[in-house]
Amino acid sequence: MKIDVRDLSFSYGERRVLEGVSFDARAGEMLCVLGPNGVGKSTLFNCLLGLARPEAGEISIDGQDLRSLGVRELAQSMAFVPQSHAPTFNYSVFDMVLMGTTARVGGVSSPGSREARSAEDAMERVGISSLRSRGYMQISGGERQLTLIARALAQQASVVIMDEPTANLDYGNQLRVLMRVKELSREGLTIIQSTHNPDHAFLFADRVLALLDGRVAALGAPREVVTQALIESLYGVRVTLSTDENGTICCRPQLT
Amino acid sequence: MRRLGTTPEDERRGLYTLIVLILAGLVVAGVLVSFALGRYPISPRQLLAALRDKALELLSALTGGAVTATKSDLVTDQMRSILFNVRLPRVLLACLVGCCLSAAGASYQGVFQNPMAAPDILGASSGAAAGAALAILLELGSRMVMVFAFAASLITIALVMIVSRTARGNRLLRIILAGIMVSSLCNALTSFIKLVADPNNILPEITYWMMGSLAKTKPREVLFVIVPMTLGIVPMLLLRWRINLLTLSDSEAKTMGVNVGAVRIAVIICATLVTAASVSVSGLIGWVGLVVPHLVRRLVGNNYRHLLPASMLGGALFLLIVDNVSRNLLLTEIPIGILTSVIGAPFFIWLITRRKETI
Repeated sequence: MKIDVRDLSFSYGERRVLEGVSFDARAGEMLCVLGPNGVGKSTLFNCLLGLARPEAGEISIDGQDLRSLGVRELAQSMAFVPQSHAPTFNYSVFDMVLMGTTARVGGVSSPGSREARSAEDAMERVGISSLRSRGYMQISGGERQLTLIARALAQQASVVIMDEPTANLDYGNQLRVLMRVKELSREGLTIIQSTHNPDHAFLFADRVLALLDGRVAALGAPREVVTQALIESLYGVRVTLSTDENGTICCRPQLT
Repeated sequence: MRRLGTTPEDERRGLYTLIVLILAGLVVAGVLVSFALGRYPISPRQLLAALRDKALELLSALTGGAVTATKSDLVTDQMRSILFNVRLPRVLLACLVGCCLSAAGASYQGVFQNPMAAPDILGASSGAAAGAALAILLELGSRMVMVFAFAASLITIALVMIVSRTARGNRLLRIILAGIMVSSLCNALTSFIKLVADPNNILPEITYWMMGSLAKTKPREVLFVIVPMTLGIVPMLLLRWRINLLTLSDSEAKTMGVNVGAVRIAVIICATLVTAASVSVSGLIGWVGLVVPHLVRRLVGNNYRHLLPASMLGGALFLLIVDNVSRNLLLTEIPIGILTSVIGAPFFIWLITRRKETI
């Protein structure tokens, strides 16, 4: 599955948030979106997910225009992983994951045994099967995030959009969640995620989309496009990039 | 090792089935006990005999006399009259109203993402009260009181929806705020009607109506409300899985393939319909829609697929029991609305303080 974005523009009233944004993402690819707060990452995601209507431009999934897809059809090809949150009611992890299958069952029917199996599989893939009967409110932040990822898998969409999936997680959980996500992209999912940590882009991204002032500042492999100058212009802090003995690039802030 | 084919999921479903069966059994038992209690007790045997006679009578009328109607010696004519004109409608209505108020409460809690939502959150009860008060003031008779209450309740919610549509801001908050405003207006109207009502006969009747009671239930009232109740309950049951997704954020539900706006409106309309129907025949009966779903959440969990049917049975059972207390505890009837509050409020306090768990 391939997602194509062409000349996307979006405004909130007078304020232009996105202007002429173009990129694509292919199956098995992990695309990281970098950019300062308020640059329009969430707006971009909302446009991709059909939650916001772009002012101009085109978004297509496998050549099919997004606007021609209904809510259910769209959910069958694209899933969303929000930041982990506290819902009003405490559902079991299994129920939470099972909700992802809703797009697969039509009309007014409820998920059946086939959907229950795909929820099981999704929990298995993410490695949270042992949490199935626990309450979503009683598990840790990292486990919640994995639950939401399993939910997206149960949806069986081939594109998964993640809004800062590691925000609010501790250092270990951030890496564990991202490693799991990386494996999923290796298995053929298209993953588009936003992140605030340049190191995460170096470690996990196949390509990076950098947004600045609503425009594409850079698009390409992290080693090629994520430069010292780019990070400094995105975030307004001075950094140095160093390469360790394994060839991994590491970003270190310069404190003055 | 777990036995093959028994996952915790199966176990939970088994537990749910068991709870539903127990609740259903208790409702049936409660119905039988309700007939046996009261100034004219009717034993289960007499009840069955009278029901069989009635069935044969209907069958005989339908087949033009091919089936002969019988009359059991167990039951006197007076008993028959009490059974079919007084006891049966009342027992049925207690079950129906309890079932509907619980279902509406549970549904509202889901669509408004608020565990404290009750069936009257949007002003369905305030609207019904204003309508009923108006009909009583105009001395239109009990049938029109019911019709006025039902219509006023629906008009109130329609008004809430229209106001909330034109207001700005968060959609859910807008609906709730509009509900508060409109029901406050209705309360003002009710107060005004009470002010101008004749204090000797009209005012007490209005006050008594507002306390909530099933004492004057007539067969035709049951027939009147059963239509809107069915029209509301059936879609709610069909949509109950999707109510789960409405308790998450709108964007999440949408990206999971749920048409949030349409499902939410459908559930609100259904819940309003059954609330309006209940209130129009029973007056204001509080707490049922809050206490019963919360108790049932403890039993079967928050998944609406299990919660809604179990709440409906639980509500029927609860109101049936309370109604029996209301008509048998003292020589004169205690309005059921007073009892549900007396039971409901302390029970709810116990419920929320019992365990350190988020509600």
